[in-house]
Amino acid sequence: MSVKPSDSATGMPAIDSTGLAGDVRQRTVRETAGRERREKLLLFLRNGQGMFGLILILLFFASAIFAPWLAPYDPNQLDIPVRLSGPSWDHLAGTDQLGRDTFSRVLYGGRVALKVAAIGVSVSLLIGVALGMLAGYGPQWLDNLMLLAFDTVRAFPTIVLALATVALTGPSLGMVLAIIIVTLIPQYARMARTSTLAIRSTEFIVAERSLGANTFRILHRHVMPNVIGPLLILAAMDVPVVVTIEAGLSFLGLGVLPPTASWGTILNEGYLAIRDTPSLVIAGGIPLVLTTLGFTFFGEALRDIFDPRLRKGR
Amino acid sequence: MLAYLLKRVGLALAIIVAVIIVLFSLLHLIPGDPITIALGPRATPEAVQRYIEKMHLDEPVIVQFAVYLKNAAMGDLGVDVFSDRSVTWIVLDQIGFTVVLVVAGLTWAILLGIPLGCFSAVRPNTLMDRVTGILSVGTIAVPSFLVSIWSLLFFAIMLGWLPAIGAGEPGNIGDQLLHLVLPAFAVGLGWVGYLARMVRASMLEVMRENYIRAAHAFGLPPRKIVYRYALRIAILPTITLIGMGFSGLLSGAVFAEVIFARPGVGKLIFDTVMSRNFPVVQGAVLITTSLYIIITLLSDLVVAWLDPRVREAL
Amino acid sequence: MENQIEVRGLTLDFRTPRGRVQALRDVSFSVPKNQIVGIVGESGSGKSTALWSILGLLPSNAEVRGGEILFGDRNLLQLGEEQLRAVRGEQVSVVFQDPMTSQIPVLTYGQQMLDILYRRPNLPIAEKRKMAVDMMRRVGIPDAERRIDQYPHHFSGGMRQRAGIAMALLMTPMLLLADEPTTALDVTMEAQIIHLLRALQQELHATVIVVSHNLGLVAELCDEVVIMYAGEIVERGDVRQIFYNAQHPYTRALLECDPARVLKRSRHLPVIPGEVPDLTAPPRACVFSPRCSRVMDVCRRTKPPDYEKSNGQIARCYLLSEEHGDPDWPPRSDVITVYRGGPSRGGAVPRGDALDLPNSTAVSAGDVATPLLEVSNLCVRFRIAGALAARLRGIQDPHVDAVLNASLTLNPGETLGLVGESGSGKTTLGHAILNLVKAPSGSVRFDGVEVLNMAESKFKPLRRDMAMMFQDPAGSLSPRQSIRALITEPFDIHGIQGRDKDHEAERLCGLVRFPRAFLSRYPHELSGGQARRVGVARALALRPKLIIADEPTAGLDVSVQGEILNLMSELQQRHRLGYIIITHNLPVVRHISDKLAIMYLGRIVEQGDCDAIFTEPAHPYTEALVRGVPRPDPEHRRTLVSIEGEIPSLARRPKGCDFHTRCPYAQDRCRTEEPVERPLSDGRRVLCHFPLFE
Repeated sequence: MSVKPSDSATGMPAIDSTGLAGDVRQRTVRETAGRERREKLLLFLRNGQGMFGLILILLFFASAIFAPWLAPYDPNQLDIPVRLSGPSWDHLAGTDQLGRDTFSRVLYGGRVALKVAAIGVSVSLLIGVALGMLAGYGPQWLDNLMLLAFDTVRAFPTIVLALATVALTGPSLGMVLAIIIVTLIPQYARMARTSTLAIRSTEFIVAERSLGANTFRILHRHVMPNVIGPLLILAAMDVPVVVTIEAGLSFLGLGVLPPTASWGTILNEGYLAIRDTPSLVIAGGIPLVLTTLGFTFFGEALRDIFDPRLRKGR
Repeated sequence: MLAYLLKRVGLALAIIVAVIIVLFSLLHLIPGDPITIALGPRATPEAVQRYIEKMHLDEPVIVQFAVYLKNAAMGDLGVDVFSDRSVTWIVLDQIGFTVVLVVAGLTWAILLGIPLGCFSAVRPNTLMDRVTGILSVGTIAVPSFLVSIWSLLFFAIMLGWLPAIGAGEPGNIGDQLLHLVLPAFAVGLGWVGYLARMVRASMLEVMRENYIRAAHAFGLPPRKIVYRYALRIAILPTITLIGMGFSGLLSGAVFAEVIFARPGVGKLIFDTVMSRNFPVVQGAVLITTSLYIIITLLSDLVVAWLDPRVREAL
Repeated sequence: MENQIEVRGLTLDFRTPRGRVQALRDVSFSVPKNQIVGIVGESGSGKSTALWSILGLLPSNAEVRGGEILFGDRNLLQLGEEQLRAVRGEQVSVVFQDPMTSQIPVLTYGQQMLDILYRRPNLPIAEKRKMAVDMMRRVGIPDAERRIDQYPHHFSGGMRQRAGIAMALLMTPMLLLADEPTTALDVTMEAQIIHLLRALQQELHATVIVVSHNLGLVAELCDEVVIMYAGEIVERGDVRQIFYNAQHPYTRALLECDPARVLKRSRHLPVIPGEVPDLTAPPRACVFSPRCSRVMDVCRRTKPPDYEKSNGQIARCYLLSEEHGDPDWPPRSDVITVYRGGPSRGGAVPRGDALDLPNSTAVSAGDVATPLLEVSNLCVRFRIAGALAARLRGIQDPHVDAVLNASLTLNPGETLGLVGESGSGKTTLGHAILNLVKAPSGSVRFDGVEVLNMAESKFKPLRRDMAMMFQDPAGSLSPRQSIRALITEPFDIHGIQGRDKDHEAERLCGLVRFPRAFLSRYPHELSGGQARRVGVARALALRPKLIIADEPTAGLDVSVQGEILNLMSELQQRHRLGYIIITHNLPVVRHISDKLAIMYLGRIVEQGDCDAIFTEPAHPYTEALVRGVPRPDPEHRRTLVSIEGEIPSLARRPKGCDFHTRCPYAQDRCRTEEPVERPLSDGRRVLCHFPLFE
């Protein structure tokens, strides 16, 4: 260990914290940062749940994106003679009331799910975070007003809200999306608001204010990065929720309209034919279950890794 | 405590009013003639006339709203489009079934989920904990309406162990219980996992606290520490969560009622939406959401009362 | 004398992601019956770990590698959980450090104490309750019969600690373990608890082990002392021997660094340079050798054994050995062995040498005409409840006065110590001066310009001249920004371009002696001392004229707190900075301040020259504070407690003089009439009807 010559100002030998000479320290610092990232990755890979979830998610994406190439039949192609048949080599998952190939419909249903998930989650995330940070950092009356609005929306069980709206507008995919977005926003907004409020009175925000930072800077550089992490995990966990809502609403006939294939409509048709051809509800349900499981396991693994309690700095 | 009570009750009432506003706006914001939208194309001219009079549709929206509000406060929620029966009675007639279903589902979830969570917390990272964890996540992920469909398929149709349709013979408790099993199972399944994880996480956090360490230091028996000390505190956020999650339970109940063809407010809303009977829809939604709001209010008050810090500081 | 408990060769590891931390290595000491033994150490010494090992209350990743703990005729380390539980509470009990978190909030004290008494199934509940009430009374809780049915949050900090002691002593254990029993308490409360522990120990004939880093506490309370460093015991002995004739260089250095023992006021406090070694790879040789001022070659090669002197003192150091020993070691007690500020490096440098910078350098002739900062009659109020809630609860005025009529002056190059206990309003005053909190009335003039409640847009340029250093070093740094970004942020905020920011960052690092390589790290990766340096760097970035430092030494070990203070002092010299140091640490503030302002319940009750205040306090509260600090000198134990009672809540401010409820000199006039500030003959100002000094 090298002892540097003393600093003439105070006569104190400047043995610095690590006791190492210059270059070695430089290398060590870079290594440390890289090591941390690798540690996280390793943690994730070792997490069986997370890997399993990731595989399922990739499966979902792949099947949805490549559906046109993977599907053996056109999903809307009718073939009455073979209607309501069980699984066979011709039709891997059987056919529905109109003889359409269930397997192909399932693949195309995934596209609907993907679309709904992507739009639903991203739009509500953006709006929710903005509203939440505003509520947390702005004046008290704004906060109270927003809380009231959020609580009102949350008072409606999702399905009930959807039913009430459909009673007036009639079913459509757009309406389903709207309901999803409206239902999800309060969740993100609440979370963003809580984080913003908590951060608002922390010492480092006071420190920033003492330096003269203005509100925008504080929100953008200091509040946002601390808030975004848990929110993204929540977003990942919300994908299965969104997909489920769409499927549920379509199942009830409130969402996607026939003849479009959606996992929900497949289940609907399956339910109507449940005594004769059970394969339909199974075929329609499996991809839904796999997708929701996948995202849920993945989200849980992410949460475990990024849990601040488990990350102790030094 | 009094101040808190008043504040919470006031908030609850405000939200109920806001819900009415939302329902009203839905009606009036949708393009088209509100009467046709509300009553559907099949309404008779007499019904239309009565509706116009009753709801003062010839007067400005604010007055309509005020009238509705006044009526609602006294329990009058309008009349059914076709049969002229009081909406309030129609809904109250059905709501009993839904409440029974939800309570049954929640009860079995609590009876299984909370002890599971407790045991997992006391023996973390053992095989049982891991298995419980995966099963919990799994059950949370699977959509509850799918559970309904599949359990219907499996237990009722394929195995024939339990009835598939309806609520059972009126007056015959045994039969009714039998009919309750599958729907309650489906409604509560996701909650078993959810509660288990919630309780586990909450307990783990509490067990890390200094006062638990102090209790150990004073030589208190571990069983007492877990149940009298740790669980007592960990249960508080769980109660809040159950309150908030009630809307999810209600959603699940709606699906269960439709799938199992059980009577209840969910099926009622569904049917009346299909038949474009909006006054009933509006009334049913209002009562359902009010129920939910009251439940969250109660759970908040219970938590506030159980925690002496909150109870006395307020 | 028979031993109550004996620890022999205790060796313990912690399994962590970083590797095996060898927290305790061959730790041996014994505790005689009816004695109070203190275990002294700084952070990383393992003192708390040793304590918890006795009761087996270690975290799950702890692994005992060897040794025994003999209690009675049993080895506690070999007992199973059931058997240990029989020992806990009954024969060995604990007083915890922080009474706010170590008592369960949802049960009353009565219920908790009944729970503890579960071991006496034959006693009826009424009997148990009587025992509990008795114990509460014994620890000095008034109105015990009624208060035992209250919840912990009804009790204030000091009372809670008393209750904690009551719970620990309920089963009249033979051995009492106290883990930093006064660290979380205010100075005046600390004195009361020390007194209480001493009294109870004598009454109940208990044996006590106290773990602390506070030398004053140990000197006042203990009969024997054990000194730990980095997981090893480096010295043991009778308390007088340790304090007057320490054998081990570390003990010696520790005593010299304690600001309460440095009798002559000095701007430069002694420091032990370097850091505690990384215990995943502890040195095979003497554990203190990297930092020792008397290190020899043999120390770096092999570990010294324990050497015992004739009087029973034991130290692990080669300086005591035959071959390597130095007959002149240890030197006389007034000789400094550690490095001090100044070019000399140890040896027999007498105290009071020319290295001490004269305290009045800063306030020399010159800029006294325009004081840097002038605060007059500043008030800060906070709302504690909404209007509706207040009415419902019957509160007349829902405000509290956090700061009331505060006035002070600071000249360039001067240091003002703002001293008070919790609730005194000192931090709020600091925030108000920096316009971080609204003040309803008063005046703050900075460099002659009135700045009170100035609009932020106008005030912003002034922020370059006034900076703040925060109490929690890592907490005041935004967690997701790199250190480089944090240090250069002041430039960004004030739109200063045209300056090479990297260059500036490096310059500032050099100034505060922060290793440049750490610039790319994040706040959670720094140690407490390093994070504080970053705080200093940020404060200095724009060359301010005034720095308000909030508890600059909180959380720092005594042997290293001097580094920050010396740094600040040096910077003040160079740049004629004005400092306001907000603290409750009296020994430290005595050394670094020119002037003091003592605060109580939001008012400044005494202010003036620092030396004068310490030698002859004028306000009874100041006297209580000054006399209340435990002196690290076993020959001068206080027999009287300074003052009784607790700090009243701000919401229930006493009528008349704020302090009359606790003042030993209170008279009728004090109860009814508010005192007015009056000047004293030596220029001090005091807020009292009957000051102790004219």
